[in-house]
Amino acid sequence: MSSLTLDKVRKAYGPVEVLKEINLAIEDGEFLVLVGPSGCGKSTLLNLIAGLESSSGGEIRIGDRVINDVHPKDRNIAMVFQSYALYPNMTVRKNITFGLEIRRVSAEERDKAVASVAKLLQIEPLLDRKPAQLSGGQRQRVAMGRALVRNPDIFLFDEPLSNLDAKLRVDMRTEIKKLHQRLGATIVYVTHDQIEAMTLASRIAVMKDGILQQFDTPQRIYEHPNNMFVAGFIGSPSMNFIHAKLISDNGRLAISIERGSNPIVLPLKDAPESYNAYVGKDVVFGIRPEGLTHKRTGSEEPGSQYVNFDSKVEVIEPTGADTMTVIEIGGKEIVARVRPDRAPHPGETMTFSADMSQISLFDPVTELRI
Amino acid sequence: MADLQQYSHGAGWKNAVLRGLLYLVLILFALYYLFPLFVMVSTSLKSLTEIREGSLISLPRVITFDAWTYAWNDACVGVTCSGIKVYFWNSVKMAIPAVLISTFLGAINGYALTKFRFKGANVVFALLLFGCFIPFQVVLLPMSQVLGKLGLASSTPGLVMVHVVYGLCFTTLFFRNYYVSIPDELVKAATIDGAGFFTIFWRIILPISTPIIVVSVIWQFTQIWNDFLFGASFSSGDNAPMTVALNNIVNTTTGVKAYNVDMATALLTGLPTLLVYVLAGKYFVRGLTAGSVKG
Ligand SMILES: Nc1ncnc2c1ncn2[C@@H]1O[C@H](COP(=O)(O)OP(=O)(O)O)[C@@H](O)[C@H]1O
Ligand SMILES: [Mg+2]
Repeated sequence: MSSLTLDKVRKAYGPVEVLKEINLAIEDGEFLVLVGPSGCGKSTLLNLIAGLESSSGGEIRIGDRVINDVHPKDRNIAMVFQSYALYPNMTVRKNITFGLEIRRVSAEERDKAVASVAKLLQIEPLLDRKPAQLSGGQRQRVAMGRALVRNPDIFLFDEPLSNLDAKLRVDMRTEIKKLHQRLGATIVYVTHDQIEAMTLASRIAVMKDGILQQFDTPQRIYEHPNNMFVAGFIGSPSMNFIHAKLISDNGRLAISIERGSNPIVLPLKDAPESYNAYVGKDVVFGIRPEGLTHKRTGSEEPGSQYVNFDSKVEVIEPTGADTMTVIEIGGKEIVARVRPDRAPHPGETMTFSADMSQISLFDPVTELRI
Repeated sequence: MADLQQYSHGAGWKNAVLRGLLYLVLILFALYYLFPLFVMVSTSLKSLTEIREGSLISLPRVITFDAWTYAWNDACVGVTCSGIKVYFWNSVKMAIPAVLISTFLGAINGYALTKFRFKGANVVFALLLFGCFIPFQVVLLPMSQVLGKLGLASSTPGLVMVHVVYGLCFTTLFFRNYYVSIPDELVKAATIDGAGFFTIFWRIILPISTPIIVVSVIWQFTQIWNDFLFGASFSSGDNAPMTVALNNIVNTTTGVKAYNVDMATALLTGLPTLLVYVLAGKYFVRGLTAGSVKG
């Protein structure tokens, strides 16, 4: 009923194409996060779904209904904006009920609706205040209340947390997630913060320059990024990219990384078919910091997923839980994630384990996953 | 800090002299501007005999408001001698509708130009802006033809229309610049809530426009109330605005020149704009510098 489908949706402002053939489909109750750097067209896409902008091509459907030409007020959607967009001259109560009032819902029902939403969001004491008398977090709640009270088919959020301070952002993130689980609502959520995307989404759509880069579950996107952009954008600290060669070492495929007279050779485990075409060629070897650690127990046993190599340590950055250890390979700084009690000193040479079960290889020219 | 004080201490006497000179110049400027006002007020409170005998700058020996009441009730404009009050009300009947209508239309224009960016909005705005620089004299002839065709020649509604049309450029500019700084998301949110063009305008945009409404009202009121050229060109006899009547009274060549009445009439004519500034001046400054809603 409130599934959402975007079919070859395009948007151009004059000659400038802001969105190029976006195809997306989510089921009823899903939490879709649109993520990408600033200016990639996330807000534009959300505005197209809301009907605040008209598309230059393609079809948008809610359930089976094509809504391209439906007025925003008749799409049964609600939107929460980055600036909250609370009406400055109205009290919180009026802000929340304004939409109902316009829709000629009776005063009695409005009161009931506002009471239940205020309870849900714990903003009951704020109902008679003006937006100027609220803190950022409170405004955020009111903006959500305004969306919730309408009980829409789809909720649209445009960077709702980006104006909050770090601590509040994390709290509100959890609350939004709880709210989603409780209401089972369909949500489209825009953010430039990949952590928000990972924690909230049932599916993530990664965008760049108006092009959909990948549309998948958070875990798939994390483990199998489609290209180097997605790989680098999702995950923090971001994935290490190392220029390397794919070689055949006694019939077994391996990554060979140049390092003076002493190259690092990392044999692959369970190499997929697609790698064969790249034997003897340059590739980009991608490995996340948690795939590079201190020497693991069992890493020397045959058939282990870990491969060991030695490297000099340049810098260490303790974070408490892990110590980010910067090493230099092939002229590039590489980050490894080491347990604090195994952390080296800068300048030392240490043995690292590379977890070959969670690596990615990319074509250095197309930057696509091999 | 300590160093700085020490440094300036050495040149202390020099600073004091410079400062003294600065104040002297400022005081001279202030006197230069205040002197005519002083003469006007003081003259308007003297009797004619006293004016004839005393000097221009002397204070009135006996304060009398006779000139003021005479100016209000009995002064002669042309052949009718029923005072300036008729023309005062003419000006009120012209200025209030003209100020309200031009401010309201400016608000709608500014709103449409910024929040409902229709095709060609920029061109429309550029043309309106251009309107601000058209001198009064250029529009006199075409305007009188238009007024004649509309049957509004020499009438107060005609003057109202002239002032609305001429003021529209300015009021639109004010409101447009104010509304640019109001986030578009406010309008988007209201659109999703189901409100249309005018509902959003009345319920959301206008209630947060107080500072710029004040600016527009003061500006327009001052312009319209003080206008002489349009008033002299597009009105006649009984429906002339106050500025035109003032000119008639002051320029009457027959009889004895009643300087005290002239001064009182001039002050009466200037009083309403002064009053508007006193009452709303602080909003004027605030409105000119105001951002709008915080994010
Ligand atoms: N009204 C417009 N006219 C022209 N270009 C626009 C307009 N609105 C947005 N854009 C452009 O579209 C691109 C995407 O904008 P937006 O969707 O706001 O990005 P995001 O929300 O991902 O930061 C930007 O490059 C922006 O400059
Ligand atoms: Mg955006």
